[in-house]
Amino acid sequence: MGAAEQAVARVSEGPDEVIDEGAAATGAPAGHTTAAQATAGRKVLPIVEGLVLLAALVLPFVLQDYLTVFATRVVILALFALSFDLVWGYAGIMSFGQALFFGSAGYGVALLARDLNITSLLLVLPAGTLIGLATSLLLGGFLLLGRHPASVIFVSLGTMTGSYAADRLARGWYYLGGQNGIPSIPPMTLGSTDITEGPVYYYMALGILVVVYLLCRFLVRSQFGLALAGLRENEQRIVFFGYKVQHLKAIVFAVGGAVAGLAGSLYAFHEGFVWPNMLGVVISTQVVLYVLFGGSGTLIGAVIGTVIIEGVSFWLSDNYRDIWPIILGVLLLLVIMFRPLGLISFVLGERERVGSFGTRIKEKRNAAP
Amino acid sequence: MASSFVAAFEILSFGAIIVLVVLGLGIIASMMGIFNFAQGEFVLLGAYVTYLAFAKGLPIWAGMIAAPFIVGALGFVLEALIIRRFYAAPIVAMLGTYALGLIIREAVRGLIGGFYLTVPEPIGGSIDIGSMHISAWRFTIIVITLLVMAGCYLLLARTSFGLRVRATLENPALARASGISTPLIYGATFAFGAALAGLAGALIVPVFSLFADLGIRFLIQGFVAVMVGGVGSFIGPVAGAGLIGTLSAALPWVMSPVVADVLVFVLAIAFIKFRPQGLIAGKGV
Repeated sequence: MGAAEQAVARVSEGPDEVIDEGAAATGAPAGHTTAAQATAGRKVLPIVEGLVLLAALVLPFVLQDYLTVFATRVVILALFALSFDLVWGYAGIMSFGQALFFGSAGYGVALLARDLNITSLLLVLPAGTLIGLATSLLLGGFLLLGRHPASVIFVSLGTMTGSYAADRLARGWYYLGGQNGIPSIPPMTLGSTDITEGPVYYYMALGILVVVYLLCRFLVRSQFGLALAGLRENEQRIVFFGYKVQHLKAIVFAVGGAVAGLAGSLYAFHEGFVWPNMLGVVISTQVVLYVLFGGSGTLIGAVIGTVIIEGVSFWLSDNYRDIWPIILGVLLLLVIMFRPLGLISFVLGERERVGSFGTRIKEKRNAAP
Repeated sequence: MASSFVAAFEILSFGAIIVLVVLGLGIIASMMGIFNFAQGEFVLLGAYVTYLAFAKGLPIWAGMIAAPFIVGALGFVLEALIIRRFYAAPIVAMLGTYALGLIIREAVRGLIGGFYLTVPEPIGGSIDIGSMHISAWRFTIIVITLLVMAGCYLLLARTSFGLRVRATLENPALARASGISTPLIYGATFAFGAALAGLAGALIVPVFSLFADLGIRFLIQGFVAVMVGGVGSFIGPVAGAGLIGTLSAALPWVMSPVVADVLVFVLAIAFIKFRPQGLIAGKGV
């Protein structure tokens, strides 16, 4: 795809004539051209991000208490969606088993709280992150590394199978509570204060989301992220440049697992219990829906997708509980067929999605044919 | 002696069920290069059609005969409207068929509620061999599976339709140049795969009863079987399904069912990792 070539070319070679070629290349494919040109001058992404953050900050003041609890859950799920977007949107790894890391971290911190009475924020969140990281390193290392480069289908089935197997294992394992999971986890603590659900937990989760979001944003806009963008757009070419593609993928997969683990430990303490579904295929595919709906490969798209799907489903579930999943399926199918880049692509041009790397060079806006 | 014979029969009949479910999945994956995530829901639909016939007072076997035709027709329509757009991109195809499966599953859930509905066996009772009793219906499933396998093989290997399908698989451009209507072949193949799933659902509903998540259970097992067997040939997925089905039915006899269930998947994934081409490599029948 033209945009990636341009991005790669821009950093590796530099001077002005390369930009001209690049602009010509981006101008050529039709479809997104108008959006790209319209947004070439101004940045839409920071505006969208700012608006979402602003809305998230004022939300607890306008919502009733029980809605704040719901909003907290959405924030945590958005963090989880972020991990999938990193893995799929940036490294092109179709992880149909992202819940494995989410759930195993949830179970891990639940066991810490149940058996060792460890509920301190400063211990459980790093512990959950580490569990997610370790699990994803193991699974990712096994699936992605090795002599035969793994096909996308194999990785997606492998992750899905991992998640399904973990679900079955948790259901049958008495120590983990079997079908019922681990109920009544004590609240998370910081010093001697309990962090209970409500505005406090909301702002803590939001703070973590913002920090992780910024870290991810830094990661995907770094030189490492540039290699990832190239990988996503044209994997073969990146291989020919001499990058160890499988290693890049494994690294991103591990980072995604760590973020999912962080989200899982937040989720476990927020809900107060963990159960086998947290590991299973249902949650794994739900997070895929969030990201595809919002728009993969943009980070903010994952957050927006989560908020929209969870929000609308919460709003509709009173009156249309039965048909809502059908509507969701139809909407998803329509998005996949007609808006493969997700809802965010209505406001975000292709060029801004790919992003710019390195020092910014003044654009020649009229260079395109 | 008697108990080990019964065990062998149980293992065989479960293996036959998995083969039946995987057959359609394997044909679509091998011939079209698409991993159809809605296949489990086609199984579910076949089961639902059979239940519907039973609930309306029609004979159950009538529902079982109707199921593959109805599901096959639906598959043909869906292929023409939706699946056709996804051929170039296998990942998008996975997601699209997943969304499709979600729609079908939730629609069926809405129709039957969260219940487990039972459908009686059209051939009840048991076959007695000496002092041993084996379920007549499970025996029938084994026989039908063998017949369907033989039928599919003959269709693909011996008929002119099969020849066209294989030609389209191996070299679509050349097939088009030779005057074969590849879109029609794709549509027919997809419909055929869907019909096989419908038949599988119709036959297994007396054994497993009808519930909305019936398909999911078989979907993952089916995918793993296809990958183990090897994508690209007719015989590969069947061999994989036989292996996975036999293993998942046999291991619970020697260890706890939960461990056995997980172990089968771990072994399968490890096998695919070190032999990506599967049990039987190569294209063709």
